[in-house]
Amino acid sequence: MTEGGRAASPGDENRAASPAGRPDQSRSSRHGRGLSRRSLAGLLFVAPMLVLFVVFRFVPVVGAFWLSLTDYRLSGRWTFVAFDNYSRLLKDTLFHESLIVTLTYTLVFVPLTVLLSLGTALLLQQVVWSRGFFRGVFFLPYVTSMVLAAVIWKWIYDAEDGLLNGFFGLLSLGPYDFLGQAATVLPSIAVTSAWKGFGYSMLILLAGLQSIPRSYLEAAMIDGAGPWQRFRYVVLPQLRPVLFFVLVIETIGAFQVFDLMYVMTAGGPIRASYSLVYLLYDSGFKFFDFGYASAIGLMLFLVVLVVSLIQRRLVGRDD
Amino acid sequence: MRPARLTLPTLLVLTAIVTIVPFVAMVLVAFAPPSGETFPNAFIPSRWTWQNFANVLSTSAIPRWTINSLVYSLVSVFVILLFAAMAGYAFAKKRFPGRELMFWAFLATLMVPFQATLIPSYILVSKLGWVDSYWGLVVPTLANSQAVFMMRQFISQLPDELFEAAEIDGASEWRIFSAIVLPLVRPALATLGIFVFLWHWNDFLWPLVIGQSAQMQTLTVGLASLQSEAVPINQVMAGAAITVLPSLLVFGLLQRYLTDSIAMTGLKA
Repeated sequence: MTEGGRAASPGDENRAASPAGRPDQSRSSRHGRGLSRRSLAGLLFVAPMLVLFVVFRFVPVVGAFWLSLTDYRLSGRWTFVAFDNYSRLLKDTLFHESLIVTLTYTLVFVPLTVLLSLGTALLLQQVVWSRGFFRGVFFLPYVTSMVLAAVIWKWIYDAEDGLLNGFFGLLSLGPYDFLGQAATVLPSIAVTSAWKGFGYSMLILLAGLQSIPRSYLEAAMIDGAGPWQRFRYVVLPQLRPVLFFVLVIETIGAFQVFDLMYVMTAGGPIRASYSLVYLLYDSGFKFFDFGYASAIGLMLFLVVLVVSLIQRRLVGRDD
Repeated sequence: MRPARLTLPTLLVLTAIVTIVPFVAMVLVAFAPPSGETFPNAFIPSRWTWQNFANVLSTSAIPRWTINSLVYSLVSVFVILLFAAMAGYAFAKKRFPGRELMFWAFLATLMVPFQATLIPSYILVSKLGWVDSYWGLVVPTLANSQAVFMMRQFISQLPDELFEAAEIDGASEWRIFSAIVLPLVRPALATLGIFVFLWHWNDFLWPLVIGQSAQMQTLTVGLASLQSEAVPINQVMAGAAITVLPSLLVFGLLQRYLTDSIAMTGLKA
């Protein structure tokens, strides 16, 4: 259940308002003489989703804050502990380690996936021949699950009979234990993740590239700009907002990494790939320390919030 | 200009091959004879066999997991499309008390990552006695604000005159919705349906915590458990090939819908 996409901008709220051509109804509701037929219909139409939303989205969000201030246990017994969970987090080396793992992974994954999706988008833009076919090929891994990617790539990386070491063997190199060593485990997982997901950002960037007016590039060409100069001084500045959107979406996604680690390495070797969400999962479902796990969840929320706010700031400054 | 003309297509083809190799490898390993020669040693299996598929289907609960994944995905698609279209219609075309507040509440929760509410959602489901049941698996994931947004965006583009004319003709509210709104937003429903299907079919964390017995696991969770047990790699890959089939089907039939809507709306599966 990923909810990562771009939300509707609040600005187009006004567009949705119904026309002002029904004075009778708006008057009746304004004076509070019961609900008009329209209002009642509106409420009834919204009701099923609203009930689901309040119970299964709003209650858990509020619940997460509340739980993080308690020592809620599996038995259901709890006491209010104020900020104890948070001060525990500050001292917990597991939390520090998982934070470093998640940051390292993000620092490897985000540039990798953005370069890969920008590169393929530029290639698709340049090569007109069978564009649809290649776009489909690059997008294919995106419709599969993280678990599938993890299962296939775990075998690809396998030290004994994996695909990659098979090829290295032909060159009389290796074998390398990609997932078994602290130095290579996170880059290896980042490669898998980039393979699985770059098709999404590629599509966004391709749409961005195609919206750059042709005349800009032609003007630059007439002025004698080479391919690199056209890219650097025309394409890149035009692409900036889209590139930024992709960067933020991928960063937020990277901070939530879990599935790949769970399947490929179980967090190992010796917690070298033990991510923040992995710690949350273990705290909740291995140690049943629900209050503590909720505090970790809120830390994750904080990170996502900060990244989104930075995006708002930087993109806002542009316009 | 000359070398560039050759370099770029070559690069494109190479990238495409690298992208596709893991899938090809999965298929080759899944069809290779159960014992002995696998990939690096023999690139193409010496003989093709369905043996791994038969083995993994008989020793694991894949048939049951498939049913669970189908229930999880299809029920969600149906209910989310219906409820999101209804809510989207109300937000786009109706005035009612609390509308702005509700809409902003929907919007605000989009910022909260699902993992941040994993624990309270689980406790809620366990209080309801829904752990390890279809109810627990499906119902909490139906509260999908993104679907509501998307439907609201599409429906607000429909001209108001349509609804006014129907109202004057005395059509009931439900009839306006089912006979006018739903048919007009069919393309949006199709697109959203694909996304909701993929979200649920590929979902892992929620089914992992809710499906505690082997009987209640979905295909993704089951595949992960095959991997962690000592199941031979040929069988794991056969299982993997089975799980990816519906996604590939959706992809093959509806790729255009999917790619166009991502380019347009930035919706993320």
